[in-house]
Amino acid sequence: MRETVWLTPPFGLGEPKKVEAMPELIVPLMNAGWSQCDPPAGSDEEVTEHVR
Amino acid sequence: MSVRTQEILIGFGKAKQADIATANVLAGVWRLNKLNAALANPKLNTENDAEEFGKGHEYTTQVFNTSWDVAGTIEKYLSAEITAWAVAFGLGKVVKSGVNPNFTYTCTPPNPSNGDAVELPFFSFIEQIRPGAGVVLDRMAVGCAVESWQISVGSGPGRANSKINIEFVGSGKLTEPSAITLPAATVEKLLASASLAVSINGTDYVTNKNIISLEFGGKNNIRMDDGFYPGSGFQTPGDSTTGAIRGRMEYGNRQFNLRFVARFQNGSDELTKLKNQTSGTAVITLTYDANNSLEVTFAKVQFATAEVVDTDGRVTVSVECLPMYNAGVVSAVAKCNVDNIAQ
Repeated sequence: MRETVWLTPPFGLGEPKKVEAMPELIVPLMNAGWSQCDPPAGSDEEVTEHVR
Repeated sequence: MSVRTQEILIGFGKAKQADIATANVLAGVWRLNKLNAALANPKLNTENDAEEFGKGHEYTTQVFNTSWDVAGTIEKYLSAEITAWAVAFGLGKVVKSGVNPNFTYTCTPPNPSNGDAVELPFFSFIEQIRPGAGVVLDRMAVGCAVESWQISVGSGPGRANSKINIEFVGSGKLTEPSAITLPAATVEKLLASASLAVSINGTDYVTNKNIISLEFGGKNNIRMDDGFYPGSGFQTPGDSTTGAIRGRMEYGNRQFNLRFVARFQNGSDELTKLKNQTSGTAVITLTYDANNSLEVTFAKVQFATAEVVDTDGRVTVSVECLPMYNAGVVSAVAKCNVDNIAQ
């Protein structure tokens, strides 16, 4: 199972989303203004093995 | 009795400060060794009344504390730990993933037009010489930010062939004594020159065995003068005679650089790429092991200069790349065993 991080949209507008913790996925989102955030309350956050 | 400069201890925020004025607490501080002897001496700026009329002479009779500056340099052998710290604090936007012992810090420069912060993460910088009863020096600069970071990789087996140079600046706020008991120095894992993998603008310079040296980094051009604004505060809160400190430190026009020297031989195409202004990515990787590494990606580079030169009797080409924006300019993925960097 792949590890994930939660990211919040630019300007904090919108719902956070869970993204696989892979640079090729995270970097474009970071450049577009997405930032890491805590998992939303009630999310099924899983801490799993790191991939890559 | 003289004191050796090798007794200098430095510690700084591994975790980021809550804000520019709130110092790191011990739990968020780590201690690392360094190579340079220079201290981050705070500078008190003053002005005086020499120019004022009414005194009957041109001499100074009063001095006024105006402001404080802090600047310092950390020069180190390149380790996974300091590299992760440098790209996290030096680029500024960080996503942490992974679990012990493999923490991954994915870092990019913030983009204010997309809602990102206009300031970099702040840290406290502590310098001590014989802290405690026989103290020689014990101070903490609060509200520091990375002004520039530069990684250099050379040819040769020794540790000096992969180094990092970090320049930082501070808000001017000082705490003396620091009230921090520095932990033991962090054991670092060298990202040695021999581990380099580098592909620039379509050429793998390690596979072709042509790379001689490589240097890359970034500069944040922090707008230091903008830190003083009405209400920015004083060294001693509420005491206007103690000199002003900065209440913000925003980055300015950020600049990134990449240059390298490679052997130049039949088939080398650097001059052609310069003439044609060929563009491509640049990916640089240094590795200690699976859990300790750095990968820096420049989204798009073109060659700004390419000069054929002599290096120790060999024909080489010295290339200056121009990092360009292509839905981002640079990103870094740093892995190390240390948790909570810039968190």
